[in-house]
Amino acid sequence: MQTSDKLTTLVSWILKIAVFISIGFVTVGSILMFIFNGADGYSISQIESYNSSINLTSKAFSPVLIPSGLLALNPIAFISLGLWVLIFTPVTVLFSSLVDYIYMKNKLYVILTFLVLFNLFTAILIIPAFVKL
Amino acid sequence: MIDVGSLSDFLLIVFGGIIAGIIGSLTGLGGGSVLVPVLTLFYGVPIEYATGASLISTIATSAGSASTYTKKGIANIKIGVGLEVATTLGAIVGALTFALVVHANLQWILFLLFGVVILTSIIPTVKRGKYEFPEEKPADFTSRLFQLSGKYHDERSRKTVQYTGIRWWLGEIIMFFAGVLSGLLGIGSGALKVLGMDWAMNLPMKVTTTTSNFMIGITAATGSSIYWYEGYIQFFLAGATAIGVLIGSRIGSSILLKVSNKEIRWIFFAILTFLGIDMIFRGVTLSGFYYINPLTGFTIAIATAAVLILLLYIKMKLEERGNANFR
Repeated sequence: MQTSDKLTTLVSWILKIAVFISIGFVTVGSILMFIFNGADGYSISQIESYNSSINLTSKAFSPVLIPSGLLALNPIAFISLGLWVLIFTPVTVLFSSLVDYIYMKNKLYVILTFLVLFNLFTAILIIPAFVKL
Repeated sequence: MIDVGSLSDFLLIVFGGIIAGIIGSLTGLGGGSVLVPVLTLFYGVPIEYATGASLISTIATSAGSASTYTKKGIANIKIGVGLEVATTLGAIVGALTFALVVHANLQWILFLLFGVVILTSIIPTVKRGKYEFPEEKPADFTSRLFQLSGKYHDERSRKTVQYTGIRWWLGEIIMFFAGVLSGLLGIGSGALKVLGMDWAMNLPMKVTTTTSNFMIGITAATGSSIYWYEGYIQFFLAGATAIGVLIGSRIGSSILLKVSNKEIRWIFFAILTFLGIDMIFRGVTLSGFYYINPLTGFTIAIATAAVLILLLYIKMKLEERGNANFR
């Protein structure tokens, strides 16, 4: 049983578009950062420095802030949206292959894809909430 | 007024990313393996941020190149997804270990390990692509259970290649460690993935490399979300390197078609060897056990890299000649 051709084409498209969108947001965000000479109340040299509080608390820039940040043309919101698109690309790919395996009634691979998605979501959602290092 | 200093820093990082992307794709080791040494050794970036940025660019290059391979139908998505069970689990373990190591201020271990991993990856990567198709081995129970058969159209020999993978369990075990290294060092650990699919599962080299490329993105995404919450994804750095490495790997893969069998590639392997040795020196110095003057270390690393690569080059050439005579 070969993976269906439709899936292969779909995955190829998802990857291509996702990279395009993500790098687009990162580039726009970076340009905005230079035009505004900073972002989010920090100067650009503060953002660049590894010791500044924006980097130490970058965990604080939660994805929830992205929509309002985009409207306010906050460069950090643009860059982090670009990076999140990149992180979520594999999730989309996995979901589309999951649908394909369900459609082809390939039970074993439905379970395996579920396991991979479970690991990914554990890393994205569960571990950050519970593990305080 | 645009901050010229920061802008030039940004462009310099993009430039470093382009170089890392080119060397990474020409050697087949991936952008991350070059990016982390370049950022830490030449740009003075703390290794925890360099690793975070590298993971992000690894996803970008993987997605960028995998889109071409999956379209051609060479990458086996099914085998890839099956093996991802182990790599994603490994990436979680690796990323958590990374966080522990950084919190304990033991960054020198990362330098040391990074150097060792680069150096040990070079030989299997050099050998990669030496032979086209694996010897056929009898299918085992995992071949059937996990549906490890596939086929692809080989452009060079103009025929359809049928293959059947074996020893799925061994592949999974090796992939777990590939995932750990990816989460710990911010690299794609392509060499271990090749070991897992090529050696353990007896898959054709082309299927191995393309499937591994597809898998690397999923593994890196798992690790990088943990990095994000730990605060090691620095926007300035990650943005600049993602753009740079993506451009670089595009340039690299178009050059690769022209130089894949040429001597030029050895220069890049030499650069990689130098980076590996210099990372080990930096690790030793940071550990406080022994102080190596940076300039002395630099010189020794260049000299050792040149000698090692020359020896490896001669060995490979002799083997090639031996094989040619044998035929």
